Amino acid sequence: MAEFECRLKKYRQMKDLTQEQLAEKVGVRRETIMRLEKAQYNPSLKLAVDISRAVEAPIEEIFVFQ
Amino acid sequence: MKTSKKKIWIGCGILCVLSVLLSSWYAVAYNDSRLVVPMDFKDYVFDIKDLPMIVSIFLVYVYLAALFVMLFIHGGKKRRQAKETDVTRKINPKLGCLGVLGFLGFAGFWTYPVDGTVFPFAFFLFFGFFGFYYEGKMSGTFMDERFRENIVRAKLKAYRITFGVMHAALIILCQGKLFGNLEYTLIAAIISLSLALGLGIFLSEYLLYRYDHDDQAEEGGE
Repeated sequence: MAEFECRLKKYRQMKDLTQEQLAEKVGVRRETIMRLEKAQYNPSLKLAVDISRAVEAPIEEIFVFQ
Repeated sequence: MKTSKKKIWIGCGILCVLSVLLSSWYAVAYNDSRLVVPMDFKDYVFDIKDLPMIVSIFLVYVYLAALFVMLFIHGGKKRRQAKETDVTRKINPKLGCLGVLGFLGFAGFWTYPVDGTVFPFAFFLFFGFFGFYYEGKMSGTFMDERFRENIVRAKLKAYRITFGVMHAALIILCQGKLFGNLEYTLIAAIISLSLALGLGIFLSEYLLYRYDHDDQAEEGGE
């Protein structure tokens, strides 16, 4: 199974966003953002796209499957 | 529901109970306890003195039917609201106390030897209402995609456990007569099915709470 790596924290901090703010932007709970950053949650395509738009970074840069 | 509306419903309930008590007293005192003590309805002939008892019983039935319809409509409204707002329905965790109703199931051990009634055993199902405690604790939670996934996960696990327990119970009970009596076997089947269903109702809420709560406990804030 492909190993999932999430670089969301880096991109979020680059945009100077807190987890709460990002969660509000993409319409999820803060806990979901935390799980994502720990690569413990596999997001839906819609959420992945919303996050990539919110942090203005390419989706394949944020979510990496090795 | 508004407090004034609640007061009206409670008031009507109290009136119904009072009317039954009064009419029972009237029947016992002035009508030879007709319609109070068990009687054979094949030979029943209407008497004007039966009227208070008939009216009060009719009132209770109307009240219960109206209460049932109102709760059904109210439940539907709450579900629609939850769907529209993506927020879990608001429930007081104290409703979990309704789980105590599960102890009514023990009434079966009293009614069965008296007149062979077995349906009270099904009340063990009400133990599942303890799950309202956990549902209440998650009241008003925003349901994002991860929360919805957890709902499905919790329900699946609860169903798996429920069906596992039911399957095991039925295999054991279907082996043959329990205590040498087929009726006891069927009673044991009612009890185990009711308890398994109650467990399923409870577990789906408890596991959802656990999944969500464990997630939060693991996480650090920022």
